Amino acid sequence: MDWTAIRLLYLSELRAALRERAVLINGILIPLLMYPLMMWVMFSGILFVTARFESFASRVEIAGLPAEHRGLLERLEEDEGRIEITEVEAQAGTAAAAYREGVENRLLAGELDAALIFETTVDPPGNAEVSLLSNGSSDQSQAARGRLERALSAERSVWLDRIAEQHGLEGAEWQVFDLRSNNLATGRQMGQFLMGMMIPLFFVLMIANGCVYPAIDSTAGERERNTWETTSTLATRRIHVVTAKYLYVATMGLVAGALNAAAMVVSFRSFLGPLLARMGGGGGSGFAFELPLTSLPILFLTAVLLGALIAAAMMILAAFARTFKEGQSMVTPVILLVIFPVVVLNDPSMEFTPALAGIPVVNVVLLLRQAIAGNVLWLQLGITVLANGAAIAACLWLASRILRVEEIATGSFEGNLFQFLRQHWRPAGGKA
Amino acid sequence: MSTVQVEVQDLSKNFFDQSRGEVRAVQEVNFECRSSEIFGLLGANGAGKTTTLRMISTVLQPTAGTARVLGHDVVSDPVEVRRNLGFYSASTALYPRLTARETLTLFARVNKYPAERTRSRVEEMIERFGLGDYAGARIEKLSSGMKQKVSIARTVVHDPPVLIFDEPTVGLDVLNALDLQKAIQELREDGKAILFSTHIMSEAERLCDRIAIIDKGRIRACDDLEGLRAATSQHYLEDIFVHYVTGNDTTG
Repeated sequence: MDWTAIRLLYLSELRAALRERAVLINGILIPLLMYPLMMWVMFSGILFVTARFESFASRVEIAGLPAEHRGLLERLEEDEGRIEITEVEAQAGTAAAAYREGVENRLLAGELDAALIFETTVDPPGNAEVSLLSNGSSDQSQAARGRLERALSAERSVWLDRIAEQHGLEGAEWQVFDLRSNNLATGRQMGQFLMGMMIPLFFVLMIANGCVYPAIDSTAGERERNTWETTSTLATRRIHVVTAKYLYVATMGLVAGALNAAAMVVSFRSFLGPLLARMGGGGGSGFAFELPLTSLPILFLTAVLLGALIAAAMMILAAFARTFKEGQSMVTPVILLVIFPVVVLNDPSMEFTPALAGIPVVNVVLLLRQAIAGNVLWLQLGITVLANGAAIAACLWLASRILRVEEIATGSFEGNLFQFLRQHWRPAGGKA
Repeated sequence: MSTVQVEVQDLSKNFFDQSRGEVRAVQEVNFECRSSEIFGLLGANGAGKTTTLRMISTVLQPTAGTARVLGHDVVSDPVEVRRNLGFYSASTALYPRLTARETLTLFARVNKYPAERTRSRVEEMIERFGLGDYAGARIEKLSSGMKQKVSIARTVVHDPPVLIFDEPTVGLDVLNALDLQKAIQELREDGKAILFSTHIMSEAERLCDRIAIIDKGRIRACDDLEGLRAATSQHYLEDIFVHYVTGNDTTG
């Protein structure tokens, strides 16, 4: 192998690519900025909505509040945000029906956000049938209803505890199930679980996205710009030119994947962690998004394996394209093909067995998920490397066979991979 | 003393075309080109000039026959052939996102010009072709005249003994075409063996030491201008060309 020529051509491809806006956007900016931006937008959006709700003054009317439950008013005022409470006397008979109708009309007209009507009291004293009225088509009314429900629930718990205590009863004796939930996972483990579900999907997608433009640019792009003939006259073997191009495409995929993973971890820590903590996720300890150190070499290895495999597959298909547009339509199936197993595997119960380690792409995703969770399964790791290595070698062998054919190299072949295989690999007396 | 640098023997090329079937683009072509010589391939569009030159430059593989550059066979030793020749054609574009200097360095290095002398050679080419002010600019930003100069510079930067110019003046204005012709003449004076294809009679008449008239993939005649005149009793190259291609005497 003429490694000097390969290195020179590879560096030229990289230099030229880094001067191309489309490569910079798809291969570097999107992987790097997409998640911080997406999470920042999500974080800001949720904060904005929360702040908006907090600025509302919920207009609530309470009718016939029994003396035993005056504490309900305090609970409502303790809840977040402002509240305007109007108390009215209990109504009876036809007055009660007319009152209720009036309340409904005011709710529908938006003059009132929610109403709580204590209709009848039943034994023992303090017990009552209560109607909670709201308008489901109004955000403000929904928020007021939520506040009333929370206050009622708290008031009921306190009331029942007090009654139970008076009767000498505790917890499960009167509640059937006295549930005390306890999440044993640490915040770090919770964070790793969430990252294990999300990172592989976006990681594969970004590597494929990072390979697309370079794969088309270095094959169909050369034909479209008429530089293929110029390259063909260089004093090196065609296989060296193809190797340099392949390394360039794989590098761009690797860079996109690595940048994406780094950006995702930073985004999780800076935006998703605080957001989940604010929303009460992650239990008492909250989420901690930290990658175990042992996962970093595996993350790098998976990026190399995926970049190398996707680049090889894309270059095989893009080799048939004569224009950029043709290249795009030929390469798109590769993205779908690599994304499909990742979506299917997004089931946390999926076990990483040695058999699954033999399936390219699938094995890389499962290996990555295990690594993020802090587990390294050495047997599966070895099978993954071998299986992907074999798939990459097969793709490169096919690519070199294809590009050796003159009509493909010169761009005069009219067709795609399947037509090519039909014409050149006939079972008997084929031209291969 | 000039030596044979390019030998072409019974060179043929067939293509398969879906609508026309098997097309015989070049048929049993024979010629040779010596150092300090401009050898012209004169033919109409589609006569087989470009296909012949592409086979010699190893871009295409011959269906039959052989071609050698400095004794290296185009099929069995294509890398050595490419190392010893520079190929220029109107359809070989430059890499738009590299600068002129980067392009020349890449071609010198990949074409095995000694690494320690590459920098000075590149600067020499920049000086010789008047690229100084634009050497650091990306090719895509250059005018077509400047691009053409960079193209010639990248063709000769590794100092090959054989040069191929395939219809090099197509699409150029008169002044740029004359500049290019002057550069080709200077390269002949440097001792290069030059294969030059054209369909422009005046260009062939002005530049070529010997001319092969090619038609429908076959060489109809091959000699210097005086020899062609003597063989056809025609003075003008245009009349000589018509004589061989149509078999008609245009002078009446």
